[in-house]
Formats: sequence, C-alpha cells, structure tokens
Amino acid sequence: MRNTYLWFIQLVTGALIAVLAGIHTVWMHLDAILSFFGVDAKDATKWHSMIERSREVMWAGIYIALLAVVLYHALNGLRNIILELTPSAKTERIVTWSIVAFGIIVFIWSVYVPITLLSTQEA
Amino acid sequence: MDKEKNEQITFKVQRYNPENDSKPHFHEFVVPASRGTTVLDGLIYIKENLDSTLAFRTSCRMAICGSCGMLINNYPHLACHTQIEEFNSSKLTIKPLPNLPIIKDLVVDLTTFFETHKSIKPYILRHDGKEMENPSAEFAQPPQALEAFLQFTYCIKCGICISACPTSASDKLFSGPQALAQCYRYCADTRDEGEPERFPVVDTDHGVWHCHLAGACSEACPKGLDPALAIQLLKRRMVSRAVGLGKKEPPASTVPPNTETKPKVPFPDFTVKGSK
Repeated sequence: MRNTYLWFIQLVTGALIAVLAGIHTVWMHLDAILSFFGVDAKDATKWHSMIERSREVMWAGIYIALLAVVLYHALNGLRNIILELTPSAKTERIVTWSIVAFGIIVFIWSVYVPITLLSTQEA
Repeated sequence: MDKEKNEQITFKVQRYNPENDSKPHFHEFVVPASRGTTVLDGLIYIKENLDSTLAFRTSCRMAICGSCGMLINNYPHLACHTQIEEFNSSKLTIKPLPNLPIIKDLVVDLTTFFETHKSIKPYILRHDGKEMENPSAEFAQPPQALEAFLQFTYCIKCGICISACPTSASDKLFSGPQALAQCYRYCADTRDEGEPERFPVVDTDHGVWHCHLAGACSEACPKGLDPALAIQLLKRRMVSRAVGLGKKEPPASTVPPNTETKPKVPFPDFTVKGSK
C-alpha cells in the first residue's frame, strides 16, 4: 500500500497548502482586508517586519510547515511525472532516491533561517 | 446519405507489414456506401473486391465481441458500430488503434492488454475455497449491490479506452483504464473478497495512481461505460482501506436453494363431457 499512502499524503498536503499558503497570502498581500477586520499586519512585506515575525514560534512553525508540505507535494508530483515519462524499474529507484535526497537537502537548508532566527530571538 | 443511392467514399487505410515495410504508409480505396453502411462493411468490401491482403479483425459485427476497434478519422471507434454517414465526409482515414503495437495493417497486438487484464484476477475470489470448488448454493446479492458495479460488467475488452488514454500514450507500463475498471468491478462485488490480492497489483508507480482523470476512456468507450469513474472509486476504496475509514461489509453469504414449491395450478376441467 506504499503508493496509496503516498497519494493520500499528496491529498492531505494539497489541502494543507491551501490553508497555509492562504494564511501567508492574506497576511502578506491583503492588508486592506485585515484592516477591515481590525487586524494590523504592521507592514508585513517590510524586512524588519518579516524578521520580527519569524522570531515568533507560531509564524516560524507556519513557514516550516508550509515548506515541508510544498516540498512533498511538488517533489512527489515531479517524481510521478518523471516515472511516467521514463517507465523502467531501474530509473524508478534512482529517481525516487534522488528526489528524496534533494528534498531533504532543500528542507534542511531552508529551515536554517527560521531556526536561526528563533534561537537568536533573545539577542 | 440516401438509402437507395450509392455514394463513393474514399477509404484512406494505413497499411503496414513488418516483414516488408520499414514504416506505415497509406492506401486509398473507393468504396460504394449508402445509408446504414458501416465502416466495417466498407473494409469487408475492400477485402472482398479490391485488396484481399488488407488485414483487420472482425467477428460479431454487432458491437459485442470488441474485435474491430480502430482509429477512424483520428478517433477510436468500433468499425461495426460506426456508420459512414456519421462523419458527413467523402473521405475516411482509418488507422490501427494507437498505444498498441501493430501486427499488420489494422491489427494490433493485444497480448499485453489481456495479460494486464488477467493480472488483476478478473473473477470472484473468496476465502471459502470449498464453496468455490463445490458450490452448494448461490451467493445472495441484492439488486442495489449489483447496480454499484453493473455498468462495468459490460466491458467487451476492445482496447478502445487504452488507445484513447493519454497516460497509456506516455507510460507504456500503465495498467490502463480497462484493467483498473475491472479491478474495481470485482472489488465492488459483494460476493468477492479479493481486495488483498488485487490491490498490490494496481498499487504501483504505473497503476491506479497514475490516472490523470482526463476522462478520454469514458468518452471513447463504445459501450457507454465510465472507466474513469471506476478508477476514481477504486482510488477511494484503496485509500479507505489504507487509512481504516469506511465500513467493510462481510462478503455475501450463500442462500440455501428454495425448497418450497409453488402450489400447482389446478388442472382445468374437460370442457367436453365424457372425454379424458
């Protein structure tokens, strides 16, 4: 049932992307709507505002979760496309492990910034 | 098109003999046609009167056997089920079904197609082997349970869905809509317990999850089946089983044969007195 779980996670990550990217989009680009509801986004696109936000555990969690679900969703989709265009058992293993390795490297590299900001929030 | 009057229709037929030809080419034949003439009638006319070397499959001539699937004016049809006048054109282009290897002219190799069909075990599988070997009674199945998969039992295995499928065109290892729809047909059968044997066959990188839901199979199916729906229902069933959602009904039990006999209709009295 390996492929069934991969597909199920693809569906779940799709739904999570809609929620997490929705939060990101509203906060970053729809400040007029937020102000209508009395929420102040504090110049969300400005550098200092982004740094300040990333030092909050909730926002850092949202960004790391968004990164994880987008990476899974995109790389699993890419893997499916490559396997469909190069149907062979030999390429299957190479493609799968290459994509897993690429995903892990990109994830570690990308979470470095929010983790560093979180750990230096006292400074 | 007039029923009485014959029109001259040009059949542009793809020819390919792997023993002599390096690549496929076209031959044109002029065929007389009137209202009601099918494409298969035209091909039979060519074979009987113009070129006996033309190769194509045919058998029942009434859309039951699934032999005469071919690409007519760049869309897959059963030749016996397609009338020439439907195209409203004096020229028809006829090619073998795509996504399948050509044996000769319009005859394609369906070996892999049938092997894939066989791989999903297209028959009732149960754990009570004794009952399967020596049935004592029939399995109970209400009409509602039959309707859940009835349309998928009408598959004639013509290969038209495979030839219409864009995924089959790009992925030669893809199970294809026919086998996947039949997998659902047997898994959805309340008499069946074969999911543990069938799911691993279609739960692969080239199985059920590679369907893009283009729906071309359902549009092309000459019997009006909806294989794309079957594939989506199969996906739902597999995810439900994997994550433990949904209720799994026990397989249908056997029904003892009805031993009660209906009361016999009384023998009518003789109308002629004295006769026996």
